[in-house]
Amino acid sequence: MNILSATLAEPHSFSPWEKLLLVASMVASAALFCRRLGPILKRILKSRKDPNFSLAPVGKRVWDFFWEVLCQAKVIRERPLPGLAHAFVFWGFCAFALVTVNHIAVGLGVGFLDPHGLVGGFYFYFAAAFAIACAVGIFGLFVRRFVVRPRWLGGKVSYESGVIALLIFLLMVTYLAAFAVSDASPSARILWWTHTLSLLIFLPIIPHTKHLHLVLSPATIFLSRGGFSKIPPLVGDEDFGLVAGTDLTQLVSLQAYSCVECGRCSEHCPATNTGKELNPKEIILGLRSYLNEFGPTSQESLIGKFNSMTADFQCTTCGSCEYQCPVGIEHLPILIGLRRGAVNTGKWEDDHGAKLFLALERGSNALGMGALERDKFIQKQQFPIFDGTQEYCLWLGCMGGYDPKGREIIADFARVMNYLGTSYGVLRKEKCTGDPVRRLGNDLLFQQLAESNLEALAQNKVKKIVSICPHCVRTIQEDWKEFGTPPEIEHHSEFLASFADKLPNQTDGRVPQVPVSGPGNQKIVFHDPCYLGRYRNVYDEPRAVVSLAGELVEAPRSHQRSFCCGAGGGLAFLGEETGDRVSHTRAKELVATGASIIGTACPFCNTMFRDALSATGKAGPQLLDIAQLTARGLPSANAAIGVTTPGGSSRE
Amino acid sequence: MKIIVAIKQVPERDAQVRINSAGKWIEEADLQFAMNESDAYALEEALQLKEKHGGEVIVLTAGPERVGTTIREALAKGADRAIHIEADDLTQRDALGVAQLLASAAKQESPDLVLTGLQSDDLGYGQTGVIMAELMGVPHASLILHVDKTDTGLTVKRELEEGWFQNIELPLPAVLMIQSGGTKLRYATLMGIKKAKTKEFRKVSASELGAAGASTAVLEKITLPQKQKSTQIIPGSAKEAAATLVEKLKFEVRVL
Repeated sequence: MNILSATLAEPHSFSPWEKLLLVASMVASAALFCRRLGPILKRILKSRKDPNFSLAPVGKRVWDFFWEVLCQAKVIRERPLPGLAHAFVFWGFCAFALVTVNHIAVGLGVGFLDPHGLVGGFYFYFAAAFAIACAVGIFGLFVRRFVVRPRWLGGKVSYESGVIALLIFLLMVTYLAAFAVSDASPSARILWWTHTLSLLIFLPIIPHTKHLHLVLSPATIFLSRGGFSKIPPLVGDEDFGLVAGTDLTQLVSLQAYSCVECGRCSEHCPATNTGKELNPKEIILGLRSYLNEFGPTSQESLIGKFNSMTADFQCTTCGSCEYQCPVGIEHLPILIGLRRGAVNTGKWEDDHGAKLFLALERGSNALGMGALERDKFIQKQQFPIFDGTQEYCLWLGCMGGYDPKGREIIADFARVMNYLGTSYGVLRKEKCTGDPVRRLGNDLLFQQLAESNLEALAQNKVKKIVSICPHCVRTIQEDWKEFGTPPEIEHHSEFLASFADKLPNQTDGRVPQVPVSGPGNQKIVFHDPCYLGRYRNVYDEPRAVVSLAGELVEAPRSHQRSFCCGAGGGLAFLGEETGDRVSHTRAKELVATGASIIGTACPFCNTMFRDALSATGKAGPQLLDIAQLTARGLPSANAAIGVTTPGGSSRE
Repeated sequence: MKIIVAIKQVPERDAQVRINSAGKWIEEADLQFAMNESDAYALEEALQLKEKHGGEVIVLTAGPERVGTTIREALAKGADRAIHIEADDLTQRDALGVAQLLASAAKQESPDLVLTGLQSDDLGYGQTGVIMAELMGVPHASLILHVDKTDTGLTVKRELEEGWFQNIELPLPAVLMIQSGGTKLRYATLMGIKKAKTKEFRKVSASELGAAGASTAVLEKITLPQKQKSTQIIPGSAKEAAATLVEKLKFEVRVL
């Protein structure tokens, strides 16, 4: 048989009984589908409305829908081979839309696409190409799930997934086989009925567990909160975060039901990867189970029902989960919401957590040190005091003001600013921006800190801030917006990159104090901080600065996939972790690149790696912030003070 | 159990204190204030007793308008109601004067137990609670790390020196001075602050309490200590060394 002359066989003349059977089974299938979908939709719609939700800007929503749903961009980009296979299945479904409609119409005797005509013929060939791709794709995915068994899909074998895969395969194969038979043959009829039944069995399975994403995920992606880790404000006197079912909003419920259980969030989670209880997938599925059992109007506590307090407080808020999710689930507002529910009601009892909160209740910084210490540091360094006339306010932050390593970074950055002739000053008094308490869910303390700081900044007439800490930058720029209008702020990597042409280039051997260990320059592996990379989308600027100091090398997991240092989410202030140390895991990865220097752009990352490197005992790479890397290239008079010795230790 | 906790608002730990122009007190204008540290432990002890045995915890504070924030913090942490003795002249009263105010207000409530902090972070007299007990005619114990209720009253754990502790039994009503560090403090929560808004906050003036009384000790002057460094080791037996020391304190340092 000549393939090119094959046409899709369409059985003719269905008997009235057949037509009746067709209609009856369609009605039954649709009814079952609705009966299963109905309660779920009801639960989502009955959930509390999201405060502050607006459809505008619609442009971004439309783009996201186009790019992530229709083009399957994230699905493919983050897991290329399975992603492509899935994309073919999805595109196959899309291409098949008309085929399916016509297929039913044929059964009722009103087929409208003529396989022998120009339009019909072309369309059926077009769909056939997709059918092949789809069949290959679904077969590949079947093998992956049931033979290869990647750990992130979970340990349990999902028979349902197997059934679905079989049905999809059957749909494609029956379609393709219909090209090989003639209209009048009994095979055509058999193929037709097999295809129909596969379709009608498939439909009611959709609302069952994760296959609901077929219906929901386009909406989930379109209706996302926007931004990254967008924490909703609390509303009214009774709102303490996610305490019970009544606190679950429509977006949260929609997202909980959209989970495909693909495990991409778990795969990149620093907690899950180091043996902790926390698994972001289980957090979302836990909410789904809660909704199924208790519903969105229940007063039952969320924590304890399919959700553990221990797990909730193991999150570093690194954002890998939210970044990876292909169906638009926003894990961070949910996790922080659960923490709020525990902290704002006093249910969370943790010695270190209480110590952090009490330190900030009574004092100005998260490390619990006296403000006099910061004053002494400022005096010793002879920093100019901000008086409203300078261009920049240099924000020290808790690490920059009180931590020895943070202070080194500030001192070197100040040296660079002096070299560049930037006018800047430091504030006499600073309070913690509130980042750790914000991520831990303490809204009382956060509001106090934000409001106090905003007032102080306004009084001091601060217009522009530069900071060495991505946490300060994020909190000041985004989180403080809830309580006022924060001044402009940039991270020091953005600042330094904008002056790249004025900074000394250390890679051409002309800067004498920088060793050019042959061959070529020192290899520097740059670690993307979570709050600079995924949160702020700043990847190139710190690299531009690093490239001036040596040869940039990348860690295996870099840019959007950078693996957290373990300090975020307030965890730097909490107690000992279970399982492997997140910081040690990442430090090992960085050391394994063979670089002689680890470059950082966050004082928390810096402090975590310093501990991790010293724990290994052996001499490891140097650990330098990009400010320190830049400062060492400055003319000798400046660079002589505060030199760091190999291993990352230093003299004050 | 009806428990009154006497709480003082003091300049915060970090404060850069300067002597005011009159030389009789510190400049308060640019200071931040916070709850006295050992009073926070007293409050925590009271709240734990209430959680275990039921009853009521009442915050009692004397001072100007600004002490309201500290009172609200105590209410947010779980105290049931508050009494604010409005007094703008607290710094001119000695420990007896302040204790008179507090004791008058406390007596009106007929409490089972009064808890105070061991001493204040600013003046550090350590006397206020003791005087209150005397004025109220009830027994007291100081340096308390832990309080337990018994059928006959209380059993308390006192901190002595060199790692020694003493357990005492005393009847109710009583006054206890609580030492810092005996227990873990709780943090203020959003829920606590919201609930605090509806709690009773009663204001009473010093004159209403009829506690006029001139202070018996008057603060003459405050100065910064002169920084000097000089170390002398005094040899000899205890008796000889003591004699030598008295000589030096009389004629060299001139404080006797």
